[in-house]
Amino acid sequence: MSTDLIVNGLQQGLILAIIAYGIMVPFRFLDFADLTADGAYPLGGTICAVCVSAGIHPATAIPISMICAGIMGICTAFIYLRLQINSMLAGVILSTMAYSVNLRIMGKPNIALFDCGVLFGENILVNMLITTALLVGCVAPFGVFLRTDFGLRFRSVGLNPNLAKLQGISIEKYTIFGLFIAGSMFGLAGSLIVQLQSYMDVGIGVGILIHGLASLMIGEAIVGNGTLNRQLVAPLLGALVYQQIQGVSLSFGLAPSDLKFFTGTIVLTVIALKKWR
Amino acid sequence: MLNISNVTKTFNGLFEPVLKKINFLLQEGEFCTLIGANGSGKSTLLKIISGEYFADSGEVRRNGDVSQVVQDVNRGTIPSMTMLENIALSRMKKPRFAFYKRHKNEIMDGIRSLNIGLEKFVDQPLSVLSGGQRQAIATLMALTSGCKILLLDEHTSALDPKMQLLLMEYTAKFVRELGLTTLMITHNMEDAVKYGDRLIMMHRGQIVADIKGREKSALKIQFLLEMFHKFEDQSLVHDGEKNVH
Repeated sequence: MSTDLIVNGLQQGLILAIIAYGIMVPFRFLDFADLTADGAYPLGGTICAVCVSAGIHPATAIPISMICAGIMGICTAFIYLRLQINSMLAGVILSTMAYSVNLRIMGKPNIALFDCGVLFGENILVNMLITTALLVGCVAPFGVFLRTDFGLRFRSVGLNPNLAKLQGISIEKYTIFGLFIAGSMFGLAGSLIVQLQSYMDVGIGVGILIHGLASLMIGEAIVGNGTLNRQLVAPLLGALVYQQIQGVSLSFGLAPSDLKFFTGTIVLTVIALKKWR
Repeated sequence: MLNISNVTKTFNGLFEPVLKKINFLLQEGEFCTLIGANGSGKSTLLKIISGEYFADSGEVRRNGDVSQVVQDVNRGTIPSMTMLENIALSRMKKPRFAFYKRHKNEIMDGIRSLNIGLEKFVDQPLSVLSGGQRQAIATLMALTSGCKILLLDEHTSALDPKMQLLLMEYTAKFVRELGLTTLMITHNMEDAVKYGDRLIMMHRGQIVADIKGREKSALKIQFLLEMFHKFEDQSLVHDGEKNVH
Protein backbone atom coordinates (compact mmCIF):
# COMPACT_ATOMS: atom_id res chain seq x y z
CA MET A 1 0.00 0.00 0.00
CA SER A 2 1.54 3.30 -1.09
CA THR A 3 2.06 6.36 1.11
CA ASP A 4 -0.22 8.31 -1.22
CA LEU A 5 -3.06 5.87 -0.56
CA ILE A 6 -2.57 6.20 3.20
CA VAL A 7 -2.42 10.01 3.12
CA ASN A 8 -5.41 10.28 0.80
CA GLY A 9 -7.23 7.84 3.07
CA LEU A 10 -6.54 10.12 6.04
CA GLN A 11 -7.85 13.17 4.14
CA GLN A 12 -11.01 11.30 3.08
CA GLY A 13 -11.30 9.88 6.59
CA LEU A 14 -11.39 13.35 8.13
CA ILE A 15 -14.33 14.31 5.90
CA LEU A 16 -16.05 10.98 6.54
CA ALA A 17 -15.60 11.62 10.28
CA ILE A 18 -17.77 14.74 9.95
CA ILE A 19 -20.52 12.56 8.44
CA ALA A 20 -20.07 10.01 11.22
CA TYR A 21 -20.53 12.81 13.79
CA GLY A 22 -23.68 13.86 11.96
CA ILE A 23 -25.00 10.30 12.22
CA MET A 24 -23.94 9.94 15.85
CA VAL A 25 -25.69 13.07 17.19
CA PRO A 26 -29.32 12.00 16.57
CA PHE A 27 -28.59 8.26 16.80
CA ARG A 28 -26.84 8.26 20.16
CA PHE A 29 -28.15 11.41 21.87
CA LEU A 30 -31.76 11.50 20.64
CA ASP A 31 -32.34 7.80 19.91
CA PHE A 32 -33.39 9.00 16.45
CA ALA A 33 -32.41 6.89 13.42
CA ASP A 34 -31.84 9.75 10.97
CA LEU A 35 -31.40 8.81 7.31
CA THR A 36 -31.21 12.41 6.11
CA ALA A 37 -27.48 12.05 5.34
CA ASP A 38 -28.11 10.68 1.82
CA GLY A 39 -29.94 13.94 0.99
CA ALA A 40 -28.27 16.58 3.20
CA TYR A 41 -24.71 15.65 2.19
CA PRO A 42 -25.28 16.23 -1.56
CA LEU A 43 -27.41 19.28 -0.73
CA GLY A 44 -24.39 20.78 1.06
CA GLY A 45 -22.25 19.91 -1.96
CA THR A 46 -24.77 21.41 -4.36
CA ILE A 47 -25.10 24.70 -2.49
CA CYS A 48 -21.32 24.95 -2.19
CA ALA A 49 -20.75 24.21 -5.91
CA VAL A 50 -23.37 26.73 -7.00
CA CYS A 51 -22.02 29.40 -4.63
CA VAL A 52 -18.37 28.91 -5.66
CA SER A 53 -19.21 28.83 -9.36
CA ALA A 54 -21.21 32.05 -8.84
CA GLY A 55 -18.07 33.72 -7.50
CA ILE A 56 -18.80 33.55 -3.77
CA HIS A 57 -15.66 32.99 -1.69
CA PRO A 58 -15.21 29.24 -1.00
CA ALA A 59 -14.87 29.87 2.75
CA THR A 60 -18.21 31.74 2.75
CA ALA A 61 -19.84 28.95 0.74
CA ILE A 62 -19.22 26.50 3.61
CA PRO A 63 -21.46 28.11 6.28
CA ILE A 64 -24.14 28.75 3.63
CA SER A 65 -24.09 25.01 2.77
CA MET A 66 -24.19 24.09 6.44
CA ILE A 67 -27.22 26.27 7.13
CA CYS A 68 -29.12 24.92 4.09
CA ALA A 69 -28.40 21.29 5.02
CA GLY A 70 -29.24 22.12 8.66
CA ILE A 71 -32.63 23.42 7.53
CA MET A 72 -33.15 20.09 5.79
CA GLY A 73 -32.50 18.44 9.18
CA ILE A 74 -35.14 20.70 10.72
CA CYS A 75 -37.58 19.61 7.97
CA THR A 76 -36.95 15.95 8.92
CA ALA A 77 -37.67 16.85 12.55
CA PHE A 78 -40.94 18.58 11.62
CA ILE A 79 -42.11 15.66 9.46
CA TYR A 80 -41.35 13.29 12.35
CA LEU A 81 -42.88 15.47 15.07
CA ARG A 82 -45.85 17.06 13.33
CA LEU A 83 -46.90 14.33 10.88
CA GLN A 84 -45.95 11.56 13.35
CA ILE A 85 -44.06 9.71 10.60
CA ASN A 86 -41.44 7.15 11.56
CA SER A 87 -37.98 8.78 11.85
CA MET A 88 -36.39 6.55 9.20
CA LEU A 89 -39.24 7.10 6.75
CA ALA A 90 -39.06 10.88 7.28
CA GLY A 91 -35.35 10.80 6.36
CA VAL A 92 -35.91 8.61 3.29
CA ILE A 93 -38.73 10.84 1.99
CA LEU A 94 -36.67 14.01 2.37
CA SER A 95 -33.54 12.44 0.85
CA THR A 96 -35.57 11.39 -2.18
CA MET A 97 -37.01 14.88 -2.49
CA ALA A 98 -33.55 16.44 -2.06
CA TYR A 99 -32.35 14.67 -5.23
CA SER A 100 -34.81 16.68 -7.34
CA VAL A 101 -34.09 19.86 -5.37
CA ASN A 102 -30.34 19.45 -6.01
CA LEU A 103 -30.92 18.95 -9.74
CA ARG A 104 -33.17 22.00 -9.81
CA ILE A 105 -30.59 24.16 -7.97
CA MET A 106 -27.68 23.05 -10.18
CA GLY A 107 -29.72 23.03 -13.39
CA LYS A 108 -27.66 20.03 -14.54
CA PRO A 109 -26.42 16.77 -12.99
CA ASN A 110 -22.90 17.99 -12.26
CA ILE A 111 -20.77 21.11 -11.88
CA ALA A 112 -16.99 21.27 -12.39
CA LEU A 113 -15.09 23.78 -10.27
CA PHE A 114 -11.68 23.35 -11.91
CA ASP A 115 -11.56 26.98 -12.98
CA CYS A 116 -12.92 28.33 -9.71
CA GLY A 117 -10.96 29.12 -6.58
CA VAL A 118 -11.49 26.46 -3.88
CA LEU A 119 -10.14 26.06 -0.34
CA PHE A 120 -7.97 23.07 -1.17
CA GLY A 121 -4.80 23.08 -3.28
CA GLU A 122 -2.09 20.68 -4.36
CA ASN A 123 -0.46 20.35 -0.92
CA ILE A 124 -2.28 17.49 0.79
CA LEU A 125 -0.86 18.30 4.22
CA VAL A 126 -2.30 21.82 4.06
CA ASN A 127 -5.59 20.30 2.89
CA MET A 128 -5.62 17.97 5.88
CA LEU A 129 -4.84 20.86 8.19
CA ILE A 130 -7.79 22.86 6.84
CA THR A 131 -10.13 19.87 7.17
CA THR A 132 -8.89 19.13 10.70
CA ALA A 133 -9.36 22.76 11.73
CA LEU A 134 -12.95 22.77 10.45
CA LEU A 135 -13.67 19.39 12.06
CA VAL A 136 -12.29 20.50 15.44
CA GLY A 137 -14.02 23.86 15.03
CA CYS A 138 -17.38 22.07 14.86
CA VAL A 139 -16.88 19.13 17.21
CA ALA A 140 -15.03 20.90 20.06
CA PRO A 141 -17.78 23.49 20.74
CA PHE A 142 -20.36 20.70 20.53
CA GLY A 143 -18.32 18.68 23.05
CA VAL A 144 -18.29 21.70 25.38
CA PHE A 145 -22.04 22.17 24.86
CA LEU A 146 -22.68 18.55 25.92
CA ARG A 147 -21.05 19.33 29.27
CA THR A 148 -23.36 22.25 30.01
CA ASP A 149 -26.84 22.18 31.58
CA PHE A 150 -28.42 22.30 28.12
CA GLY A 151 -26.11 19.55 26.83
CA LEU A 152 -27.05 17.27 29.73
CA ARG A 153 -30.73 17.86 29.02
CA PHE A 154 -30.10 17.21 25.31
CA ARG A 155 -28.49 13.82 26.11
CA SER A 156 -31.31 12.85 28.45
CA VAL A 157 -33.88 13.16 25.63
CA GLY A 158 -32.66 10.02 23.87
CA LEU A 159 -31.72 8.05 26.96
CA ASN A 160 -34.97 8.40 28.91
CA PRO A 161 -37.61 10.57 27.19
CA ASN A 162 -40.16 9.96 29.97
CA LEU A 163 -37.79 11.23 32.62
CA ALA A 164 -36.84 14.16 30.36
CA LYS A 165 -40.52 15.12 30.05
CA LEU A 166 -40.96 14.95 33.83
CA GLN A 167 -37.97 17.30 34.19
CA GLY A 168 -39.81 19.80 31.98
CA ILE A 169 -37.50 19.23 29.00
CA SER A 170 -39.02 19.93 25.58
CA ILE A 171 -38.42 16.81 23.48
CA GLU A 172 -39.49 18.72 20.36
CA LYS A 173 -37.04 21.61 20.75
CA TYR A 174 -34.09 19.35 21.43
CA THR A 175 -35.00 17.02 18.53
CA ILE A 176 -35.15 19.99 16.14
CA PHE A 177 -31.85 21.30 17.48
CA GLY A 178 -30.15 17.90 17.23
CA LEU A 179 -31.27 17.34 13.65
CA PHE A 180 -30.15 20.85 12.68
CA ILE A 181 -26.68 20.08 14.08
CA ALA A 182 -26.60 16.73 12.23
CA GLY A 183 -27.77 18.33 8.96
CA SER A 184 -25.15 21.07 9.29
CA MET A 185 -22.44 18.47 9.68
CA PHE A 186 -23.61 16.65 6.54
CA GLY A 187 -23.63 20.01 4.75
CA LEU A 188 -20.08 20.75 5.92
CA ALA A 189 -18.86 17.35 4.71
CA GLY A 190 -20.63 17.81 1.36
CA SER A 191 -19.12 21.24 0.77
CA LEU A 192 -15.63 20.01 1.72
CA ILE A 193 -15.70 16.97 -0.56
CA VAL A 194 -16.89 19.12 -3.47
CA GLN A 195 -14.08 21.60 -2.89
CA LEU A 196 -11.56 18.79 -2.49
CA GLN A 197 -12.59 17.13 -5.75
CA SER A 198 -13.39 20.46 -7.52
CA TYR A 199 -16.44 18.64 -8.81
CA MET A 200 -20.02 18.12 -7.78
CA ASP A 201 -22.21 15.30 -9.02
CA VAL A 202 -25.83 14.89 -7.99
CA GLY A 203 -25.19 11.23 -7.13
CA ILE A 204 -22.44 11.78 -4.52
CA GLY A 205 -24.77 11.04 -1.64
CA VAL A 206 -25.78 7.54 -2.65
CA GLY A 207 -24.76 5.17 0.13
CA ILE A 208 -22.92 7.82 2.17
CA LEU A 209 -25.03 6.94 5.22
CA ILE A 210 -23.70 3.39 5.31
CA HIS A 211 -20.09 4.65 5.11
CA GLY A 212 -20.71 7.00 8.02
CA LEU A 213 -22.50 4.30 9.99
CA ALA A 214 -19.64 1.85 9.36
CA SER A 215 -17.19 4.47 10.67
CA LEU A 216 -19.26 5.05 13.80
CA MET A 217 -19.62 1.31 14.46
CA ILE A 218 -15.90 0.66 14.00
CA GLY A 219 -15.01 3.61 16.25
CA GLU A 220 -17.38 2.46 18.99
CA ALA A 221 -16.05 -1.09 18.68
CA ILE A 222 -12.51 0.23 19.25
CA VAL A 223 -13.00 2.81 22.02
CA GLY A 224 -16.55 2.05 23.19
CA ASN A 225 -19.24 4.64 23.92
CA GLY A 226 -19.53 4.35 27.69
CA THR A 227 -18.33 7.89 28.42
CA LEU A 228 -18.82 11.21 26.69
CA ASN A 229 -15.14 11.43 25.72
CA ARG A 230 -15.19 7.97 24.15
CA GLN A 231 -18.42 8.81 22.35
CA LEU A 232 -16.82 11.94 20.90
CA VAL A 233 -13.61 10.20 19.81
CA ALA A 234 -15.33 7.15 18.24
CA PRO A 235 -16.54 8.75 14.94
CA LEU A 236 -13.13 10.29 14.15
CA LEU A 237 -11.14 7.18 14.98
CA GLY A 238 -13.65 4.92 13.23
CA ALA A 239 -13.64 7.01 10.03
CA LEU A 240 -9.84 7.07 9.86
CA VAL A 241 -9.60 3.30 10.41
CA TYR A 242 -12.45 2.60 7.99
CA GLN A 243 -10.82 4.57 5.18
CA GLN A 244 -7.56 2.71 5.73
CA ILE A 245 -9.42 -0.64 5.62
CA GLN A 246 -10.95 0.46 2.32
CA GLY A 247 -7.50 1.48 1.05
CA VAL A 248 -5.99 -1.88 2.02
CA SER A 249 -8.89 -3.73 0.36
CA LEU A 250 -8.48 -1.77 -2.88
CA SER A 251 -4.72 -2.32 -2.89
CA PHE A 252 -5.39 -6.07 -2.56
CA GLY A 253 -7.47 -5.94 -5.74
CA LEU A 254 -11.03 -5.34 -4.50
CA ALA A 255 -13.04 -3.73 -7.33
CA PRO A 256 -14.34 -0.22 -6.42
CA SER A 257 -17.81 -1.39 -7.45
CA ASP A 258 -17.67 -3.98 -4.64
CA LEU A 259 -16.98 -1.37 -1.94
CA LYS A 260 -20.61 -0.90 -0.88
CA PHE A 261 -21.06 -4.65 -0.37
CA PHE A 262 -17.79 -4.67 1.53
CA THR A 263 -18.96 -1.75 3.72
CA GLY A 264 -22.25 -3.45 4.53
CA THR A 265 -20.35 -6.59 5.51
CA ILE A 266 -18.14 -4.55 7.87
CA VAL A 267 -21.18 -2.97 9.59
CA LEU A 268 -22.88 -6.36 10.05
CA THR A 269 -19.66 -7.96 11.30
CA VAL A 270 -19.10 -5.22 13.90
CA ILE A 271 -22.72 -5.47 15.10
CA ALA A 272 -22.48 -9.28 15.29
CA LEU A 273 -19.19 -9.10 17.22
CA LYS A 274 -20.76 -6.65 19.69
CA LYS A 275 -23.69 -9.05 20.25
CA TRP A 276 -21.51 -12.08 20.82
CA ARG A 277 -18.94 -10.35 23.05
CA MET B 1 -50.65 22.70 48.60
CA LEU B 2 -52.24 20.12 46.29
CA ASN B 3 -55.91 20.42 45.48
CA ILE B 4 -57.71 17.64 43.62
CA SER B 5 -61.26 18.53 42.56
CA ASN B 6 -63.69 16.14 40.90
CA VAL B 7 -61.01 14.26 38.97
CA THR B 8 -62.46 11.55 36.73
CA LYS B 9 -60.62 9.29 34.32
CA THR B 10 -61.75 6.49 32.01
CA PHE B 11 -59.37 4.55 29.79
CA ASN B 12 -60.35 3.58 26.25
CA GLY B 13 -61.99 0.16 26.14
CA LEU B 14 -63.12 0.23 29.79
CA PHE B 15 -66.74 0.92 30.72
CA GLU B 16 -66.11 1.75 34.35
CA PRO B 17 -64.06 4.89 35.18
CA VAL B 18 -60.69 4.22 36.80
CA LEU B 19 -61.20 7.37 38.89
CA LYS B 20 -64.63 8.65 39.92
CA LYS B 21 -64.86 12.28 41.09
CA ILE B 22 -61.82 12.26 43.37
CA ASN B 23 -61.65 15.21 45.79
CA PHE B 24 -59.10 16.06 48.46
CA LEU B 25 -56.86 18.89 49.55
CA LEU B 26 -53.34 18.40 50.90
CA GLN B 27 -51.99 21.30 52.95
CA GLU B 28 -48.41 22.48 52.55
CA GLY B 29 -46.01 20.07 54.28
CA GLU B 30 -48.66 17.38 54.75
CA PHE B 31 -47.49 13.76 54.33
CA CYS B 32 -50.38 11.68 53.01
CA THR B 33 -50.27 7.96 52.34
CA LEU B 34 -52.51 6.48 49.70
CA ILE B 35 -53.51 2.86 50.16
CA GLY B 36 -55.77 0.45 48.35
CA ALA B 37 -55.80 -2.83 46.46
CA ASN B 38 -54.33 -3.24 42.99
CA GLY B 39 -56.53 -1.58 40.36
CA SER B 40 -58.07 0.89 42.79
CA GLY B 41 -56.74 3.86 40.76
CA LYS B 42 -53.87 5.05 42.98
CA SER B 43 -51.15 5.09 40.32
CA THR B 44 -53.47 6.65 37.74
CA LEU B 45 -54.18 9.45 40.21
CA LEU B 46 -50.46 10.04 40.74
CA LYS B 47 -49.87 10.11 36.99
CA ILE B 48 -52.59 12.74 36.60
CA ILE B 49 -51.05 14.83 39.37
CA SER B 50 -47.58 14.58 37.77
CA GLY B 51 -48.99 15.52 34.35
CA GLU B 52 -48.22 12.19 32.72
CA TYR B 53 -51.96 11.54 32.13
CA PHE B 54 -54.77 14.00 31.57
CA ALA B 55 -57.99 13.79 33.54
CA ASP B 56 -61.25 13.51 31.57
CA SER B 57 -62.78 16.07 33.90
CA GLY B 58 -61.92 17.81 37.13
CA GLU B 59 -58.96 19.92 38.14
CA VAL B 60 -55.55 19.47 39.77
CA ARG B 61 -54.07 22.60 41.38
CA ARG B 62 -50.48 22.57 42.57
CA ASN B 63 -48.59 25.36 44.33
CA GLY B 64 -45.21 24.37 42.86
CA ASP B 65 -43.15 21.88 40.89
CA VAL B 66 -43.81 18.17 41.26
CA SER B 67 -41.17 15.44 41.57
CA GLN B 68 -41.79 11.76 41.77
CA VAL B 69 -40.05 8.51 42.61
CA VAL B 70 -41.47 5.41 40.99
CA GLN B 71 -41.06 1.72 41.71
CA ASP B 72 -39.22 1.00 38.44
CA VAL B 73 -35.82 2.64 38.92
CA ASN B 74 -35.09 2.51 35.17
CA ARG B 75 -38.02 4.89 34.60
CA GLY B 76 -36.81 7.35 37.20
CA THR B 77 -33.11 7.46 36.34
CA ILE B 78 -30.75 7.17 33.36
CA PRO B 79 -28.56 4.13 34.07
CA SER B 80 -25.96 4.95 31.39
CA MET B 81 -25.35 8.44 32.81
CA THR B 82 -23.12 8.97 35.84
CA MET B 83 -24.54 9.53 39.31
CA LEU B 84 -23.41 13.16 39.11
CA GLU B 85 -25.16 13.67 35.77
CA ASN B 86 -28.40 12.06 36.98
CA ILE B 87 -28.58 14.22 40.09
CA ALA B 88 -27.47 17.36 38.20
CA LEU B 89 -30.26 16.76 35.67
CA SER B 90 -32.90 16.75 38.40
CA ARG B 91 -31.64 20.10 39.77
CA MET B 92 -31.89 22.00 36.48
CA LYS B 93 -35.25 23.68 36.51
CA LYS B 94 -33.56 26.81 35.11
CA PRO B 95 -30.71 25.56 32.89
CA ARG B 96 -27.76 27.81 32.01
CA PHE B 97 -24.95 27.72 29.51
CA ALA B 98 -22.56 26.66 32.27
CA PHE B 99 -20.86 23.35 33.06
CA TYR B 100 -23.15 21.08 35.04
CA LYS B 101 -20.16 19.97 37.15
CA ARG B 102 -20.43 23.27 39.04
CA HIS B 103 -23.06 21.48 41.18
CA LYS B 104 -20.62 18.75 42.22
CA ASN B 105 -19.97 19.94 45.82
CA GLU B 106 -23.68 20.23 46.65
CA ILE B 107 -24.36 16.89 44.96
CA MET B 108 -21.60 15.25 46.99
CA ASP B 109 -23.18 16.63 50.19
CA GLY B 110 -26.48 15.09 49.14
CA ILE B 111 -24.90 11.71 48.42
CA ARG B 112 -23.09 11.78 51.78
CA SER B 113 -26.39 12.49 53.53
CA LEU B 114 -27.67 9.10 52.28
CA ASN B 115 -24.94 7.56 54.43
CA ILE B 116 -24.62 4.36 52.39
CA GLY B 117 -21.11 4.95 51.03
CA LEU B 118 -22.01 5.92 47.46
CA GLU B 119 -19.64 8.92 47.29
CA LYS B 120 -16.93 6.97 45.47
CA PHE B 121 -19.33 6.15 42.61
CA VAL B 122 -20.18 9.78 41.84
CA ASP B 123 -18.47 9.68 38.42
CA GLN B 124 -19.57 6.12 37.61
CA PRO B 125 -22.63 5.20 35.53
CA LEU B 126 -25.66 4.36 37.69
CA SER B 127 -25.76 0.93 36.03
CA VAL B 128 -22.85 -0.21 38.26
CA LEU B 129 -25.03 0.21 41.39
CA SER B 130 -27.51 -2.26 42.87
CA GLY B 131 -31.27 -1.69 42.50
CA GLY B 132 -31.53 -0.41 46.08
CA GLN B 133 -28.63 2.00 45.67
CA ARG B 134 -30.11 3.32 42.44
CA GLN B 135 -33.48 3.82 44.11
CA ALA B 136 -31.73 5.78 46.87
CA ILE B 137 -30.23 8.03 44.19
CA ALA B 138 -33.63 8.38 42.48
CA THR B 139 -35.10 9.46 45.86
CA LEU B 140 -32.24 11.91 46.39
CA MET B 141 -32.86 13.31 42.88
CA ALA B 142 -36.51 13.98 43.71
CA LEU B 143 -35.80 15.44 47.16
CA THR B 144 -33.11 17.85 45.95
CA SER B 145 -34.91 18.95 42.80
CA GLY B 146 -36.38 22.03 44.45
CA CYS B 147 -39.92 20.68 44.12
CA LYS B 148 -42.78 21.63 46.43
CA ILE B 149 -44.79 18.44 45.90
CA LEU B 150 -43.35 14.94 46.14
CA LEU B 151 -45.06 11.85 44.74
CA LEU B 152 -43.85 8.42 45.85
CA ASP B 153 -45.24 5.41 43.98
CA GLU B 154 -44.26 2.30 45.98
CA HIS B 155 -40.69 3.54 45.80
CA THR B 156 -39.36 1.07 48.37
CA SER B 157 -41.46 -1.98 47.49
CA ALA B 158 -38.78 -3.72 45.38
CA LEU B 159 -36.05 -3.34 48.04
CA ASP B 160 -34.87 -5.62 50.83
CA PRO B 161 -36.30 -4.83 54.32
CA LYS B 162 -33.12 -3.15 55.56
CA MET B 163 -32.90 -0.85 52.54
CA GLN B 164 -36.66 -0.22 52.73
CA LEU B 165 -36.35 1.04 56.30
CA LEU B 166 -33.28 3.11 55.54
CA LEU B 167 -34.83 4.78 52.51
CA MET B 168 -38.18 5.40 54.21
CA GLU B 169 -36.48 7.01 57.23
CA TYR B 170 -34.33 9.12 54.93
CA THR B 171 -37.33 10.19 52.85
CA ALA B 172 -39.45 11.02 55.88
CA LYS B 173 -36.63 13.03 57.50
CA PHE B 174 -36.02 15.15 54.39
CA VAL B 175 -39.73 15.60 53.66
CA ARG B 176 -40.18 17.07 57.17
CA GLU B 177 -37.05 19.24 56.92
CA LEU B 178 -38.00 20.63 53.51
CA GLY B 179 -41.72 20.88 54.31
CA LEU B 180 -42.72 19.05 51.12
CA THR B 181 -46.33 18.20 50.42
CA THR B 182 -46.10 14.45 49.93
CA LEU B 183 -48.41 11.80 48.54
CA MET B 184 -47.09 8.26 48.95
CA ILE B 185 -48.60 5.06 47.53
CA THR B 186 -47.80 2.01 49.57
CA HIS B 187 -49.08 -1.51 50.17
CA ASN B 188 -47.27 -1.59 53.49
CA MET B 189 -49.85 -0.64 56.13
CA GLU B 190 -47.16 -0.24 58.81
CA ASP B 191 -45.40 2.39 56.70
CA ALA B 192 -48.70 4.04 55.85
CA VAL B 193 -49.58 4.45 59.54
CA LYS B 194 -46.05 5.26 60.73
CA TYR B 195 -45.13 7.96 58.20
CA GLY B 196 -48.42 9.42 57.04
CA ASP B 197 -50.03 12.42 58.74
CA ARG B 198 -53.09 11.37 56.84
CA LEU B 199 -54.29 8.11 55.28
CA ILE B 200 -56.50 7.92 52.22
CA MET B 201 -57.88 4.59 51.12
CA MET B 202 -59.11 4.03 47.57
CA HIS B 203 -61.30 1.28 46.21
CA ARG B 204 -62.49 0.92 42.60
CA GLY B 205 -61.68 4.53 41.71
CA GLN B 206 -63.21 6.12 44.80
CA ILE B 207 -62.00 7.37 48.15
CA VAL B 208 -63.53 5.11 50.78
CA ALA B 209 -61.66 6.37 53.84
CA ASP B 210 -59.78 9.57 54.72
CA ILE B 211 -58.24 9.66 58.20
CA LYS B 212 -56.32 12.73 59.38
CA GLY B 213 -53.47 12.85 61.90
CA ARG B 214 -55.36 13.61 65.07
CA GLU B 215 -58.02 11.06 64.19
CA LYS B 216 -55.55 8.20 63.75
CA SER B 217 -56.78 6.26 66.76
CA ALA B 218 -55.96 2.58 67.17
CA LEU B 219 -59.60 1.70 66.56
CA LYS B 220 -59.72 3.51 63.24
CA ILE B 221 -56.45 1.97 62.13
CA GLN B 222 -57.80 -1.48 63.01
CA PHE B 223 -60.96 -0.75 60.99
CA LEU B 224 -58.84 0.49 58.08
CA LEU B 225 -56.68 -2.62 58.21
CA GLU B 226 -59.73 -4.87 58.02
CA MET B 227 -61.09 -2.90 55.08
CA PHE B 228 -57.73 -3.01 53.35
CA HIS B 229 -57.48 -6.80 53.61
CA LYS B 230 -61.12 -7.21 52.55
CA PHE B 231 -60.54 -5.09 49.44
CA GLU B 232 -57.28 -6.89 48.63
CA ASP B 233 -59.16 -10.23 48.78
CA GLN B 234 -61.93 -8.81 46.58
CA SER B 235 -59.33 -7.58 44.13
CA LEU B 236 -57.80 -11.08 43.94
CA VAL B 237 -61.22 -12.64 43.28
CA HIS B 238 -61.99 -9.92 40.69
CA ASP B 239 -58.65 -10.57 38.92
CA GLY B 240 -59.29 -14.29 39.03
CA GLU B 241 -62.74 -13.86 37.44
CA LYS B 242 -61.23 -11.70 34.70
CA ASN B 243 -58.70 -14.44 33.98
CA VAL B 244 -61.41 -17.10 33.79
CA HIS B 245 -63.40 -14.99 31.28
